[in-house]
Amino acid sequence: MLSGRTFKTAPSDDHLHQLDINKEEAERTMSIKKRAGICLLGVELALGALPQTAGAADQPCVGKVPTIRAIAQPIPTITFLDSVKGDFEKKWATKIEIQQFGESERRAKSRLDASQGTGAYQVYYIDEANVAEFATSKWVLPLLHYMPKDWDWNDFLEGRRAVATYQGTVWFAPFMGGGDLMMYRKDIMTQKGLQPPKSLDDLTKVVAALNDPPRMYGTSLRGRRGSGMNVWRWTPFFRGMGGQWFDGDKPVFNSDAAVKATKYYINLLKYAPPGSSTNTWSEVIEGFRGGQVGLIIESDVMGPWAEDTTKSRIAGRVGYAPPPDPLPSAGFAHGFAISAKGNPTECSKTVSAEFVAWSTSKEMEARKVKAGILSDFARRSTLDNPEFKARINPDYIQGLRDTAPKTDLLIWKSPLWPEVGDDLGLELEQVFTGSQPDIKQALDSAVSQAEQVVKRAADK
Amino acid sequence: MSAVPEPALGESGRNRHSGRRLSSRRRFTALALAPALVMLVALSLPPTIGVIGLAFRNASLLSPTSRWIGFGNFVLLWGDRRFFNSLEVSIIWEIVTVSGTMILAILLGILIFERVRGGLRDIICLALILPILIPRVSAGLIWRFMYSPLMGVVNYPFQLAGLQPIEFLSRPSLALYAVAIVDVWQWGLFFAVIVLKLLESLPAGPLEAARLDRAASWEVHWFVSLPMLRPPLVTMAFIKAIESLRSFDLIYAMTGGGPGIATETLDLYVYQRGFAMSGQISYAAAMSVLLLVVSTLAFSVLWKLTQLWSR
Repeated sequence: MLSGRTFKTAPSDDHLHQLDINKEEAERTMSIKKRAGICLLGVELALGALPQTAGAADQPCVGKVPTIRAIAQPIPTITFLDSVKGDFEKKWATKIEIQQFGESERRAKSRLDASQGTGAYQVYYIDEANVAEFATSKWVLPLLHYMPKDWDWNDFLEGRRAVATYQGTVWFAPFMGGGDLMMYRKDIMTQKGLQPPKSLDDLTKVVAALNDPPRMYGTSLRGRRGSGMNVWRWTPFFRGMGGQWFDGDKPVFNSDAAVKATKYYINLLKYAPPGSSTNTWSEVIEGFRGGQVGLIIESDVMGPWAEDTTKSRIAGRVGYAPPPDPLPSAGFAHGFAISAKGNPTECSKTVSAEFVAWSTSKEMEARKVKAGILSDFARRSTLDNPEFKARINPDYIQGLRDTAPKTDLLIWKSPLWPEVGDDLGLELEQVFTGSQPDIKQALDSAVSQAEQVVKRAADK
Repeated sequence: MSAVPEPALGESGRNRHSGRRLSSRRRFTALALAPALVMLVALSLPPTIGVIGLAFRNASLLSPTSRWIGFGNFVLLWGDRRFFNSLEVSIIWEIVTVSGTMILAILLGILIFERVRGGLRDIICLALILPILIPRVSAGLIWRFMYSPLMGVVNYPFQLAGLQPIEFLSRPSLALYAVAIVDVWQWGLFFAVIVLKLLESLPAGPLEAARLDRAASWEVHWFVSLPMLRPPLVTMAFIKAIESLRSFDLIYAMTGGGPGIATETLDLYVYQRGFAMSGQISYAAAMSVLLLVVSTLAFSVLWKLTQLWSR
């Protein structure tokens, strides 16, 4: 259109001669053309000063998609996106609706929508637990095919990229992720002359020493059933003690390592606040930053939550270290993916992809840092952001760096994982609450259910 | 010209007249109910038939195809320990919530009837209706927080006394009753207002006569007012029994069916199997069909008994 166009400012003498107009007329004509050229140049410059508007205005899909509906869970990123979505809505003349549910409900609802082809959602919130399921079932579109060129996939941290990729294809754009971190009350540990534990034996001793109910409990752990809940927290103990999910096609997570890990977990629960046997991660972090728990091993995103002075009683008094050996750190990532059935038209795919790109862009991560959201990031450029470096606790960054080498995806990366993990989670909850006293029997039951899941999948 | 008097209606004439009136009343009743019944049938019959068909297949949310497997799902249910547990939990839930609601309603209704007069009675009635106005999920979340061992108000007195807080929702032996308390709190207080209004509607004569015979308050109500209120009380219990079958929202908000499967009623298990955990919608449909058959039979029998007890 206007870009790249040149203007003739004055006709040549030959041209004037050819037109056979007198000089005065020629000057008048030249003046008019000059003014017109300057005006047009001014318009072009004005439009060029608003690059997004110019880009969106070029897009044939502007205004063609009335609503983009995203399913998500309430984390700081989503709350922030909901507050600033007006920018995107204006640019694309599209209404953005972000529907938020608890983690387990979000997974169930998005699976229901995707499997039935209802198409109620154009964008899904995906995580490490269900990326394989969604990818294998073709419920989401291969991401990189639809993303704008300047979105820069290579800027994402390696760990996040690895989780978002299944069988060589990228399926979602991460906006948060990480691994585990051991977080502890450094003031109380110093007072009691304790050091951050480096082994499981140390961990037991430190947690016991911190335990002083009802004012302070040694630790807190997840107990509530769920592949992303109690199983998530139990898995590093299981894998750290040598456990494996499958031996070929045979599930083997009822091994001696699994029994040992479960016994250790139950022992730690003795030093946890009452009700921990059915705790979610929300209750774990609230107990910790409420000042009632001395030490937790949890997802590292909770570090900035513990330092939030508006919500935490212990801000400035938290120490960070890698989980004690031999515990690995459970890598994870959450992000947005483009629904296959929810985007039947090309414009719908384009605008959904633009929304995903906008939500996970370098600019958006910088805006989140500016807004004080330091827990949710996925890009290398954010780590280099001077504002991020100035605001984040340097001990936290050091803790992340020290833990990175032992961070890995510890769950069984299969589309059948959600069902297998949820069945295991139920058995573990029964063990933690005492309704199933026989650990081996509970694990055998979970393995038996996993065998049926695998068999059903093979029979289809 | 003299007017020919109308012949007086004989008995057969009167019977014919009243018979025509009855048939016209029945016709009017049928016509008045017809639109609602047609809508009910139209909205509930297709999904019911759909679920019955699904129960005989092996459909799952993870697979686009399914095939006919006959009674395969029902055979699997027979060996499903969790299914029988959910039946047991459902029965306990019904008994505890219905009896708890009716006992609280009757005791509280009588207490207010005996002790409170005038404007204060109306204010108390208003306060007692408020809990039922709270949406079930909201009530569940509020009480879940109140029960919290670390932060909840229910455990606060124990903490002040230096005692260990009680894990109401984490102990398998307590969780179901802790959730039932919330249900009884909402419905029992509401039913108490209804019982109070029923007591107010009774003729004063029999109650006064009993008091004149020096009957104590409890004797007046046990031997006079409650027997007079038997029909509406039995109906209220029946309605509560039907309502208690639909407590999915409250239990889900408070415990999700846990700890373990201690509060997992049949409808919650159907949801877990069909949607939340496995996506085995045919298996869930088989359970739903069984629930439909069992509850239809049970409530048909109960309805007959209700009519018998109401006499």
